[in-house]
Amino acid sequence: MKRSKRFEVLEARPVHEDGFVQEWPEVGLVAVDGPNDPKPGIKIENGVVVEMDGIKRSDFDMIDQFIADHAINLEMAEKVAAMDSKELAKMIVDINVPREEIIPLTTAMTPAKICEVVGHMNVVEMMMALQKMRCRKTPSNQCHVTSVRDNPVQIAADAAEAAIRGFDEMETTVGIVRYAPFNALALLVGAQTGRGGVLTQCALEEATELQLGMKGLTSYAETISVYGTENVFVDGDDTPWSKAFLASAYASRGLKMRFTSGTGAEVQMGYAEGKSMLYLEAKCVYVTKGAGVQGLQNGSISCIGVPGAVPGGIRAVLAENLITTMLDLEVASGNDQTFSHSPFRRTARTMMQFLPGTDFIFSGYSAVPNYDNMFAGSNFDAEDYDDYLALQRDLVVDGGLRPVTEEEVIAVRNKAARALQAVFRELGLPPITDEEVEAATYAHGSEDMPERNVVEDLKAAQELFTGPITGLDVVKALAKNNFTDVAVNVLEMLKQRISGDYLHTSAIIDSNFVVKSAVNDPNDYAGPGTGYRLTGKRWEEIKNIPFAIRPEEIGQ
Amino acid sequence: MVDKNALEQIVREVMKSLQESGPKGGDNPAVNADQGLDPARDYPLTTKRPDLIRTPTGKSLDEITLDKVLKGEVTPQDVRISAETLRLQAEIAEKVGRPQFARNLRRAAELTQVPDDRILAIYRALRPHRSTKEELLAIADELESKYNAKANAALVREAAEVYERRGLLRTA
Amino acid sequence: MQVDEKLVRQIVEEVLSSMGQGTAAPKLEAAGAAPVSGVEFTELGTAEKGTKADEVVIGLGPAFGLYQIKTIKGIPHAAVLRELIAGIEEEGVTARVIRVKHTSDVAFIAHTAAKLSGSGIGIGIQSRGTTVIHQKDLDPLSNLELFPQCPLLTLETYRAIGRNAAQYAKGGSPKPVPVENDQMARPKYQAVAAVLHIKETEHVEKNAKPVELKVTFK
Repeated sequence: MKRSKRFEVLEARPVHEDGFVQEWPEVGLVAVDGPNDPKPGIKIENGVVVEMDGIKRSDFDMIDQFIADHAINLEMAEKVAAMDSKELAKMIVDINVPREEIIPLTTAMTPAKICEVVGHMNVVEMMMALQKMRCRKTPSNQCHVTSVRDNPVQIAADAAEAAIRGFDEMETTVGIVRYAPFNALALLVGAQTGRGGVLTQCALEEATELQLGMKGLTSYAETISVYGTENVFVDGDDTPWSKAFLASAYASRGLKMRFTSGTGAEVQMGYAEGKSMLYLEAKCVYVTKGAGVQGLQNGSISCIGVPGAVPGGIRAVLAENLITTMLDLEVASGNDQTFSHSPFRRTARTMMQFLPGTDFIFSGYSAVPNYDNMFAGSNFDAEDYDDYLALQRDLVVDGGLRPVTEEEVIAVRNKAARALQAVFRELGLPPITDEEVEAATYAHGSEDMPERNVVEDLKAAQELFTGPITGLDVVKALAKNNFTDVAVNVLEMLKQRISGDYLHTSAIIDSNFVVKSAVNDPNDYAGPGTGYRLTGKRWEEIKNIPFAIRPEEIGQ
Repeated sequence: MVDKNALEQIVREVMKSLQESGPKGGDNPAVNADQGLDPARDYPLTTKRPDLIRTPTGKSLDEITLDKVLKGEVTPQDVRISAETLRLQAEIAEKVGRPQFARNLRRAAELTQVPDDRILAIYRALRPHRSTKEELLAIADELESKYNAKANAALVREAAEVYERRGLLRTA
Repeated sequence: MQVDEKLVRQIVEEVLSSMGQGTAAPKLEAAGAAPVSGVEFTELGTAEKGTKADEVVIGLGPAFGLYQIKTIKGIPHAAVLRELIAGIEEEGVTARVIRVKHTSDVAFIAHTAAKLSGSGIGIGIQSRGTTVIHQKDLDPLSNLELFPQCPLLTLETYRAIGRNAAQYAKGGSPKPVPVENDQMARPKYQAVAAVLHIKETEHVEKNAKPVELKVTFK
């Protein structure tokens, strides 16, 4: 065939790099309304669910049983099951029906019912609902701080910069698992250098992640994965009961935690049972609720390429965020993985959470260039900072970030690198050279960093993990080297686990170490002029991007 | 045998419940008593009710200072949450309508008595295909008798039943 | 115990195979030699725990080289497997190949291989190419080295993975194979990778034991 020049131009566009596929409903490669999605319904006898969504109790798999016995508010369940789903959807979108009247209804729905309810909404209605249903009034943001070479100095500097840029939570992970204690330590020191009160975590295998928390090197956990089919849950090496026990284990050490799930995980792992991505994700949200966990990271997360490839997938991703808030859970709403080669698709996907606001709009905005992002890249990265600041300013939306000057960034990166240098020296870890401190101060990514002796680092990292060093030793090391303010911040983070205030739903910690959660900052949105409004000092801050020209300087 | 820590804890809780005024409900007043917290007035506890917070070693929040850390007077045991504090937070959770979360915090309160290594081992034992039914039931008994962790014991027993029905026990 | 032809054949094959290992094991050609296009597998019965401390066990996914014959990037499974083996043998360590049938999850495939390995070191590989180096005492979902982005793995990477696995088997601490990271691999390949995994998972036999394989390259 003689090629059309038009089609050749279109094929060269970035969107053609994306992997779109047709639906394959029989195996669950479908966003909503899978061929095996059950019809809603519930039967309760003597306080026990005997049938849920058309499945008899004797046929429950472990997930059905866990949801039926732990996740649903049974008092209202039969009443809500009998209500018209479209009417329920209208109530949820209606600004005249307050959140506190909705929650008793939505927490009494079965998974199939809640999918049917959100199924009546288009994306604008879902955004309206999300604006009202998210738990915390003030929106916030989380970032990823990682290094493709697991360079601890770089991680500390990037964490400090990310802190002054406004992120309230930071997540790291590893290229090489054995580096984990160093990454966690570098993130902790860097974040507390930037701003006291930033929560930090290191994503790892479940048991290891808990051990790092117990040592005081992290302050919360997030990558506690749950799944929507029994087979995939078992391949994830857990059950709802092991995960519920783990949740209590975290709380018993005073550590905040949330679960993680996302549309597409089950089909990606090969066992979706012919059920839609959204229905299976709804079950994950219920497992989280039943385990008594305060919140969930979802929005497809690492599987975004799967819903992103099928029709209606990005709407389903918004729906899963919404369902999370409807079950009164904190939502860290994704946007944390590369999703598309097309800048249009990337931005449109993020607007779904950015415009209504969520507890954490990104559950990992990449605070490093994507080549360094060890979650395999985020939807927005360090190179998009100024675009993001412009979006906040254009639309008068609080996306959680603030403009910064080059001077303050250089200063804080340098301080964090020196603080970590002192901690490494004090704890007897492989030395951080002045050359490394200098490089980290001005670096954009790991390509700008000198190489470290990886074998030596890994040996020391393992000793740090198995040895007696805890967060208190980090405090001492910082204080002895005149990083008193950072030492106090790290100590204050350790003290958070004594009072447990930040265990509550949607908790973040401000620079005075006061917790702001759904308990003392509940979302009271009720239409125009209510709820969170971007005004006053915060709006002045967002307005004043340093790259906007001052009119008085024009023509001078 | 009651170990020393558990004994101390019981004494402390009994003392505390004696000091509290007002009626008590439930069959286990020291554990389940409503402390009369009002989320709007008393949360966050750190700033609003620091008087109620004690570390497992009996220290108050303002006793944990940088100075004391440097003098070696603060140990890792001093920067942990106590069972009592977790129950206070559970009460807050209940009063803002989050019963499942509150139950999690009450299970957590029980687990404050279980050592780190044992917690990790029990978690691993609860993973699929790791334990026989008898092993899980033994863990439940241990949680109940050794640590007075009744809610956790119930959770493990429930898991044992489900794992048996769904073929998730260790076979070999 | 019933003795039939199948069992006798299996025993004979096992004996022959162990004799082959005991004497001069046929060394596979180094990379750069004539390319292999095909591979044949002969099942030698249930895979047993190895007794030799200087071996690495390679666990193949249920469909590897059978129902699927190339990775997501189109690299023939035969060539991939040959490079893994060559990398191991280059370090003077023996490679043993098994097929894991009860799971298609790469971490569990690798952990199964590690548990059966005399050295405690195993490699797991899925048909789409995703690979893990594992150690028997680690949690299944932990690992020594993980190569999650299958579209980025080349024959050179597979050989390096084999080499490193062998060095772990000898008790060494090799410099990990550089982790490839292309953040745009997901939007391009993830849905296709999911389809390949579904097609691998269709061949999982939940209760089947891992099987020892004789590997013949063509």
